[in-house]
This record gives sequence, C-alpha cells and structure tokens, in this order.
Amino acid sequence: MRDLFMDEFAVSLLVQELGLIIYQFTQQNLPACKPVLSPVWVVQIVYRYDVECVPALYRSNKLAYIKDNSIPKNCSKSLKIRWLPLELKICFQLVFMRDAHGFLANSKLMKAPIYIYYQLDNYYQNHRRYVKSRSDRQLLHGLKHHDLSSCAPEDFNHGLPVVPCGLIAWSLFNDTYSFFRGIDEMKVNRKNIAWKSDRDHKFGKQVYPFNFQNGTLSGGAHLDPKIPLSDQEDLIVWMRTSALPTFRKLYGRIEEDLDADDIITVKLLNNYNTYSFTGSKKLVLSTSSWLGGHNNFLGMACISVGVSFIFVAFVFMLIHVKNPRPYGDTTNLSWNWKPMSG
Amino acid sequence: MGEEEFLEAQTSVSSDRDALVDAAADKIERDLILLGATAVEDKLQKGVPECIDKLANAGIKVWVITGDKMETAINIGYACSLLREDMQQIVITLDSPEINDLEKKGDKEAVAKASSASITNQIKEGKHQLSSSEGSSVSFGLIIDGKSLSFALSENLENSFLDLAINCASVICCRSTPKQKALVTRLVKKCTGRTTLAIGDGANDVGMLQEADIGVGISGVEGMQAAMSSDFAIAQFRFLERLLLVHGHWCYRRIALMICYFFYKNIAFGFTLFWFETHASFSGQPAYNDWYMSFYNVFFTSLPVIALGVFDQDVSARLCLKYPMLYLEGVHDILFSWPRILGWMLNGILSSMIIFFFTTSSVIHQAFRQDGQVLDFEVLGVMIYTCVVWTVNCQMAISINYFTWIQHFFIWGSIAFWYAFLVMYGAISPIISTTAYQVLVEACALSPFYWLATLLIVVSTLLPYFMYRAFQTEFNPMIHDIIQRRRLESSEEEEASVELFFQHKEKIASVKKLREQETLLSK
Repeated sequence: MRDLFMDEFAVSLLVQELGLIIYQFTQQNLPACKPVLSPVWVVQIVYRYDVECVPALYRSNKLAYIKDNSIPKNCSKSLKIRWLPLELKICFQLVFMRDAHGFLANSKLMKAPIYIYYQLDNYYQNHRRYVKSRSDRQLLHGLKHHDLSSCAPEDFNHGLPVVPCGLIAWSLFNDTYSFFRGIDEMKVNRKNIAWKSDRDHKFGKQVYPFNFQNGTLSGGAHLDPKIPLSDQEDLIVWMRTSALPTFRKLYGRIEEDLDADDIITVKLLNNYNTYSFTGSKKLVLSTSSWLGGHNNFLGMACISVGVSFIFVAFVFMLIHVKNPRPYGDTTNLSWNWKPMSG
Repeated sequence: MGEEEFLEAQTSVSSDRDALVDAAADKIERDLILLGATAVEDKLQKGVPECIDKLANAGIKVWVITGDKMETAINIGYACSLLREDMQQIVITLDSPEINDLEKKGDKEAVAKASSASITNQIKEGKHQLSSSEGSSVSFGLIIDGKSLSFALSENLENSFLDLAINCASVICCRSTPKQKALVTRLVKKCTGRTTLAIGDGANDVGMLQEADIGVGISGVEGMQAAMSSDFAIAQFRFLERLLLVHGHWCYRRIALMICYFFYKNIAFGFTLFWFETHASFSGQPAYNDWYMSFYNVFFTSLPVIALGVFDQDVSARLCLKYPMLYLEGVHDILFSWPRILGWMLNGILSSMIIFFFTTSSVIHQAFRQDGQVLDFEVLGVMIYTCVVWTVNCQMAISINYFTWIQHFFIWGSIAFWYAFLVMYGAISPIISTTAYQVLVEACALSPFYWLATLLIVVSTLLPYFMYRAFQTEFNPMIHDIIQRRRLESSEEEEASVELFFQHKEKIASVKKLREQETLLSK
C-alpha cells in the first residue's frame, strides 16, 4: 500500500512538473538566458606610496629611515574612489578601461572581488642567482632534507639549517595593508591567493619555518613557526618568482563592492627596503574581467595589426592596378627565351 | 698467291701496315660482281637525343669524350643533335701529311715538336675563328682527337685549349684514352670551377667518373664496372634527364630552403632568450624551463623540417621535365644567395622581437585571468615558447608548396605535441618539473587571454614574411612561381586530356606492335 502511494506520489510530481513546463511554454515564460553585449570594464587604482610614506624628516636619507627599526613605519593615506575620466592626480592614478558618461546600470563602481596587489619596480626577481637560491626538496620535506647547497648563503644560521632556505624566502615582502571605509575595517581575504598546485604539492603540510630570519641581516618578513609552509600563502606567492623586473603580486582580496565617491583609508606599514636600489613600491587595487586585469594592449594590437593588413592589401591592390602582370605570362618560358651564352 | 701476300701484309709490323694491306686487298678484289651491301648501325640508346636537347636547354654544357674514331664520333654527334648542320666545326687533328712523314722517319723529338707547334697553331686558328664571328648567332663545335689531346692537355697549352673549348657550343673528343677522359674532366673542373657530371657505361669510363664531381654509371650491356664506381647508377642514358631536371632541381631547392629555415627557427628561438636577458639584467637566467629548450630541436620543430627536406616539391615532375630552365635556378644558385640567407636570418630576429615584445607588453603587470592571478616566470616562459613553436611551424606551412598527409601530420602534430608535452611534464613531481609543474593545466589553459594572445602574436609575426611572399610572387615572380600560376590558371582538364590522348596513342601503338610480332612468330 505504501509503495503504491509513493509511486502515485512520484508520478503525480512528474505530471505536475510537466504541467509546469507546458504552462511556462504556453505563457511564454520559459527560463531563458538573456545575453546583453555590454562592455566589460575594469577599474584599477595604482598608488605609489614609498616616497610619500617616508616622514618629511627622513626624506633626504630614506635608507637610514628604512633600516632603523626604532622608527615607526605606520603610514595612513586616504584614497577617494572618484569617477574621473582620464584625469591624473598626483596622489593616485585612476585608470579606466571604459569611460561611460552618465548612465551606469548600477551605481557600484568597483565590484567585488577587488584584488589587492603590491607592485615592485626595478626588482629583478628573475636574476639567475636569485632564482637558483631555493631548495624545492626542503620546501616539501623540511628538516629531513639536508643538502642545502643551492641556498647559499642563506642556508645555515648559527650552525643550524634555515627552513625555508635561500634568498627568495629570505627577501620576503613585509609591507602590510589594512583598509578602512569610514571607521569600519574592510575585511581582506588573505586565503587562496596562491596557486592551488603550489599550496598542495610544492610546500609541505608538515614543514614549519625554523631558524628563519635569525641572522644579523634581516631581509624581509618573519614567519610564524607554528603555521606549516603550505598555509603560509604570502611566502608561497612570493616564492613564485616573477618574470620581469616590474611585477605585481597578489596580497589579498576585498569581497565587498566599493561605490563611487567612497573614501578608503589605507593604513600601511612601510617596512620593506626598496630604497637601497632605487626600486619603488606601489599599492594596486583592481577588479578583473574574463580577460583579466586592465589591458588595452591586446585590443590595440589587434586593431593596429588589422589596420596594417588592410593598408598593405590596399597598397597591393594599387600596385596591381597600376602594373598589371598578366597571369601565366609566357615571356619567361624556355621557348621564348633568348639563347643563353656561356 | 694472293692469300700469301695478304697474310704477309696483315702480319707486318711496320707503320705502313695499313697501306700494305690495302695494296694486297686491291690485288684480290678485281673483276668482282657487286651483289649487295650491308651496313651495321650501332644505334644510340632510346631517348638520347631528346635527353641531350633537354639538358642543353637547362643550361648544361654537354661534351662527348669517346674512344671511337673521328668519323664515328662525328656521326654520333649529329645523331644526338650535339652537332647540327648550321654549326661550324673546328677540327684539331694531327693527321696531316707533314706529321705523318715525320712519324715515318721515326725521330720522336722532332715529331713531338712539330705536333706541339701544329696543335698550338690550330688552337690559335680556332680561337681566331671564334672571335671573328662573335655577335653572330653561329655556334661552333670543337672536335679533337686523342693524339692532339695529349698535346693540348700539356701545361703550356691547356689554358688556351680550355678557353677555346668553353666557347664552343659542344665539344667532341674522339680516340681518347681512359686517362685522357679523366684529364679532360679534371681540367674542366679545375679551371672553370663549375660542377662537372660524368656519365659512362664502360670500364674505360671509370677514371672519368671518379674524377668528376658527380659520376653517373650506366649499368647494363658493358658490365657493372661503371655502375660500381659511380655516385649514381642508372639503367639507361635517358634517365639522366629525370635525375637532373627533376630530382636535381628538387634536391637543390629542398636543401637550400632547409638550411635557411634551420637558421631562421633557431634564431627566432635564441633571440627571445636574448631579449629576455635584457629584462633579467643579463644574469644568464634562461626564459624557459631547461627541458623546453632541450626538446625544441628534437620534438617540436624537427619533424616538419624533415618533411620539407625529403618531400617538398615546388612543381611536379611532369612540369620539371617540360620546363628544363627550372634547373637554371640551381646553376645560378638563386635560392641560396647571401641576400636570401640574410633575409631569413633577419626574419628570425624580427619574429623573435615581435613575439617577445608583444607578449611582455600585453601581460606586463595586470592579471591575466578572471581570478586575479598575475604573470610569473613560468607562465611567461610558456606563453613565449608557445608563440615561438606556433610561429615557426606556421612559417613552415607557408613556405612549403606541397602538402601531403605527412606534412600535415608533422606540422600540426608538432604543435599538438608541445601541448601534450606540457601536460605530461607538468604532471611529474615538482622536484623534477620545477617551473613547469601543472603550468598548462592549472594556469594557462583556463585563461582566455593566453589563447587570444597566442593567436594575435602568431598572426602578427607571420605578417612580414607573408607580405613579402605575396608581393614577390605577384610582381617579381621567379620561374617556379610562374609555372605554378600557369598550371593553376590553365584549364587543368585540357592538360589532363592531352596527356591521356598521348598515353592512349602509345598504348595503341604498342598493342599493334605486339600483334604484328605474334603474327610473325606464328608464321
């Protein structure tokens, strides 16, 4: 009896569903996908802070400022998200991919997720000696792996091995940023910023930092020895060496939307020493689209290559019209040639 | 009585033997009734005159060096159209009465002196004849016999002899010994610096075959000695035409193109490394993973070149034979001149520049994927390398004129193999694959930017060469371009039907012949 009832119930559900579909069909209300060709736009804010954040007292000797641990490195700047087409300001730059006068579908300017990057200039992370200075085996196996020759000189400290060893880890970036909208701190998601394959397969889950940054010269950030390497996402992101001397690395994401005319206060710690080699540091906030970040090169290149194709074709046509060469011109065939000499 | 005298004359060992034999025979052959006459024709092989004609059209000079008598050699010359009715003949021979008298006397020194003087004079006369008829379309044929040749090849005379011989349309050396055959070949090779080819079928040709740059032996009636000591062995003389005009032409083009292409593809690859170094403070950091670089010339770009070098044909065999002046491309070394080689190298440098700078400019800072990830060393390496592999293989596809399934398989297969390799290599533990670990699967494949950028960059890189080719074939075509165009334009059905007609005719003729033979046999 019960089975029969269940069957009846199932059948009646099916019938209802079918009836619903037919109803939608006849009422012209089928669920549909409605594509709209709208331009995708990316908003990007680039803010160079390494000069600004040095107090006026130390402007002439930034190197001394950065090396002195006793000077507080806090710096607080305000960024206003303004809808300013193509206008450059001294403190911050707004670069737009598309300039929409007037009507916007919604008034949110920067849609979540907003990616936070730090950009370093003139920093050669692709130098051969730098790239070599790491030990992949040690990153996976920790103290069990003993051959640290590739990491010299950052391999041993006070006779003990350094985990993670090498120059790349030693020079870990250590500026921090926190964002406030008004009084509320905006939550910055610092998880999942590294590649998954790195987290899972290149950095050991049982490997903990040991004897790290213990020497006389501190190159960058310190690592929490209680967190395994596979969870130290900053380290993982930093250790994936960049390709070019100017690069960005992902710091985190803001999962909220930012509206136009919002004022964001950035509280940053200006720790990292880029002053000894005329590098510069920039903070970048950017949204992304299906194509990635702000990038007009691809579009411009496509257009210019296409235009040059058209131009060449046009020239070709002109020359052809002016100097037509009959197809299958027979003057160069052997029986029409003059006899060769010699 | 007549028989005794005749025998004596035959067995006499004096220089007058010929005259004695003639006199004795004369005494016997009196009051005879002529019954008939027989003649023996030593026929030339089938197709020889046409072959020599074609070779002459292809800009190849043909000399005949034979051991036959002068009359036979001249007849052969006429038979294979080396000598024509309208040609003037320059004959250099020591068969004059003065020399013969001196020989009878036996004074060797005097004979040599007189012979040398006579030869010098004759050569001078011949040259005079040549220079006086310069400008008019009269062509000359030089005929020289073995004895004279031995003097003409002496040190003081060889240059003027060669001078005379080069300016004649054809040269026939008769009564030559095997050593002289080799000496003449060496003289021509050394003094003109041209490539020489010797073809012969007997053991007496071996010296000549070995001396020439290319020796072709005809295997068959006179044994296998010639074939065994040659570079190429063919069965009949007329196959030489196909050997030279078809295979020689194809080989020249293939090798020239292959070498230029090798330079191009390695320069295109190597210079991207160099441009990367400008961005890596010249520290020596390679832009790619080591194994990418090792396999570049092994897997990703090697097979298409082999397909080019072994299979490529610019025009079909039938057209090569029809238009023998295609062969002149090789004679004048058009396809391997310095401008062409440097042009390919420049193309390589330009390609590398476009690839590298487009790639880096397009991805320089910002994220290249929806999830906000930025470019790093591994991804840039893969992007540039992908563009290089695509460009180099598509360049091959534009350059070759002959696509069989092999070429398609090699070219597109090499590109596909690059992606397959990335997947396979990236799946190995990161200890071994270091910077390639899952780079395609995780980072690049899901980024539409990567694919779009590859497309844009490959197209832009190929544009200069493509433009050059389009303009060159349209406004300054080379011989094979014209022939290809003509083949395309002319009604192909027409040509095919004409061919069919001739094939049909041949078939009918051969069937008829067979029938006649059968009826003869049955009788």
